[in-house]
Amino acid sequence: MTITPITIAFFIMAAFTLGGSLGVVTNRNLFHAALYLVLALFGVAGLFVLLEAPFLAAVQVLVYVGAIAVLITITIMVTRRIMGVTESVNRQWPLAAGVSAIMAITLGFVVLDRFAGKLPVAAVPGDNIVRLGEALVNYDAYLVPFEVASVLLLAAMIGAIVVARE
Amino acid sequence: MQLPILESINLMAVLPVLIIAGWACVLLVFDLLIPRSRKHWTAWLALVGLLGAAVALFFQIGHFARLGSEAAFDGMVTVDGFSIFLQVVFVLTAIVGVLLALDYLPRHGIERGEYYVLLLFTTIGMMIMSMAADLIVVFVALELLSIPLYILSGFAGMRETSEEAALKYFLLGAFASSFLVYGIALTYGGTGTTRLTGIAQAVTSDALNLPLTTVGMGLLLVGLGFKVAAVPFHMWTPDVYQGAPTPVTAFMSVGAKAGGFAALIRVLVTAFPAIASEWGTLIAVIAGLTMLLGNIVAISQSNIKRMLAYSSIAHAGYILLAVAAAQRSENASFAIGAVVFYLLAYALTNLGAFTVAIAVERDDGTGTEIDDFAGLGKTRPWMALAMALFMLSLTGMPISGGLVGKVFVFQAALQAVPGDPLLLAVVIIGVLTSVVSAFYYLKVIMVMYMREGEGKAVLPLALKTVLAATAFGTLVLGIIPGPVFQMAQRAMLK
Amino acid sequence: MGEWTFIALLFIISLILPAVPIIAGRLLGPRKPNPLKNSTYECGVETVGDTWVQFKVQYYIFALVFLIFDIEVVFLYPWAVAYHQLPLFGVVAGIVFIVTLAEALIYAWRKGALEWV
Repeated sequence: MTITPITIAFFIMAAFTLGGSLGVVTNRNLFHAALYLVLALFGVAGLFVLLEAPFLAAVQVLVYVGAIAVLITITIMVTRRIMGVTESVNRQWPLAAGVSAIMAITLGFVVLDRFAGKLPVAAVPGDNIVRLGEALVNYDAYLVPFEVASVLLLAAMIGAIVVARE
Repeated sequence: MQLPILESINLMAVLPVLIIAGWACVLLVFDLLIPRSRKHWTAWLALVGLLGAAVALFFQIGHFARLGSEAAFDGMVTVDGFSIFLQVVFVLTAIVGVLLALDYLPRHGIERGEYYVLLLFTTIGMMIMSMAADLIVVFVALELLSIPLYILSGFAGMRETSEEAALKYFLLGAFASSFLVYGIALTYGGTGTTRLTGIAQAVTSDALNLPLTTVGMGLLLVGLGFKVAAVPFHMWTPDVYQGAPTPVTAFMSVGAKAGGFAALIRVLVTAFPAIASEWGTLIAVIAGLTMLLGNIVAISQSNIKRMLAYSSIAHAGYILLAVAAAQRSENASFAIGAVVFYLLAYALTNLGAFTVAIAVERDDGTGTEIDDFAGLGKTRPWMALAMALFMLSLTGMPISGGLVGKVFVFQAALQAVPGDPLLLAVVIIGVLTSVVSAFYYLKVIMVMYMREGEGKAVLPLALKTVLAATAFGTLVLGIIPGPVFQMAQRAMLK
Repeated sequence: MGEWTFIALLFIISLILPAVPIIAGRLLGPRKPNPLKNSTYECGVETVGDTWVQFKVQYYIFALVFLIFDIEVVFLYPWAVAYHQLPLFGVVAGIVFIVTLAEALIYAWRKGALEWV
């Protein structure tokens, strides 16, 4: 394997993602785990950049690193008695680790088996955001999920306010 | 500027969904404007919207009988007998859901207009779920089905059990959704499309990445297995069913389950016919485990809601058996007919049983033990009779829809045995567990008639109506199942 | 990949810039700690109580409302970029989306979720 700047960048981003994820599951302080999650999500954004999907990278930063991470930290902050919790309350982690390992091996095998040593099938078109925008509102593409998503967001808003304001 | 071809959009095909969606949005604003003491107006208006959708559905049945199934939005959704039949079930369940809440919510001091709006939203999710012909639509519909239900199960927020139910349901449901999304992503990676028909084509062509697609399908099964409460993804069910307000439990025990099965069947039968023997075996094993666990654990339950929760797990097992029988294309039509017939029979019976549970429940949320049914045979003879009918139907005793449903399910499975001998073993498990289920269903009847007790129950008009309608429906399905089953059989997917 | 090189460079520089003074301060500065110096705000009001306190639930509602409209932006951004190419139907579809979310805003506003109490 030849080392190019892109492979270096890939390994840095992969290290962010994996390291951050490990931090999330091993850290006993929830707040610190949430901060590690931000790191992992940021690494994923970097991976999207390397995959030439700048829009997804922007979404990742805007929604996940921006909004969801903020939401998670705030949720931890408004929850009573959870900030200082540092001992693990769950003894099932060996089981969880086993299941996760099985899944990781299966998925890794399936992906490597098929994609190892292969090049991308098609180049990414330059105007993919325009094409995405057209597809979202086109009746023969993603119009139905697009409109259902708006109803879904409305329902989520009602739900959030009902839950929080009782 | 070109106008789209209206035929390919086919708004008429999704008219019932549009009616409820538009009505829910209007109702939300309306609810903001009326004073807090008038929240029952919202309930009645929600009923009006649902009846409007029912009328639209009625016309669609006629339309469908003449023209057959049709695609809308260029194949993103399919309106066929299957989806229309299930949409009827969903709209009926939603109407019952509103009627059950009409007295329950004010009695328990949790009346808010949002209940009805969220109920309409989740109904839309279920209806779209039954029509979805694309995995992306399956996903957004599943979320639209689930998110309002998470909120509704926590609607009695001052009760800790209700809060616990909402949290558990939400966490496990979100976890299941992530499996579903992962499955969709892998399926897309393997086949290059999210359209169910496109996946079916890709599975038979060489361009396929079969291992990736198979793993994707497995993850899809996990995600949907959570929704229908199949073993080993059933853990949330007892706590959520027990903790949620009873009308919500009644609604979701039918609606969410039928929605999950709708997506399960359509995805498996439409998208993965080429690997049918693989998923058939998998589903058959899950069906066996689900029937065993649901029925055996239900025996030791003393709370009626918890007992009905395990019973709903058990019934998911019977339905899964018919789903497994759909693996052979020759008898897929019969098997799918058996599934939707069973779902209808289960819906009527279960809604009826929960109606009785609501009548017996006291205003502070207690009175949900089976012992609280003692004496009802004397004080409320008609209600006790109806409850006895529902219990017999859930067991699968004669002159009830439950028996006919079970017969169809077992028959479908036996027809498929030549392709998959494992099914024979699962059918035997099914018959044996049905016998076991008599223990806990008949216990309720025994307590009602044989044990002395206060037998207190509150039975307002709305509950009486629901009770009469569901009992009548259960009887009709049990005595003259022919016409409905013929309709169910025509529910074959396009 | 050209323009991303600059972003990568910017990223590296932005890491170095704050890191250098901190490390330099560590290495070069004399170290004579006393309790006053070690307090959280050396020249400010003294902190009272624990750092891990429970915050108001209002923060959570604001964050949720923000998240929902953030997702709306994500959906509308490609729609807006493609606006010039869209047929009338596509524009209407986008407007339906916006109107639905506007209703969510009205709901949040009428329920007082946007007020700080």
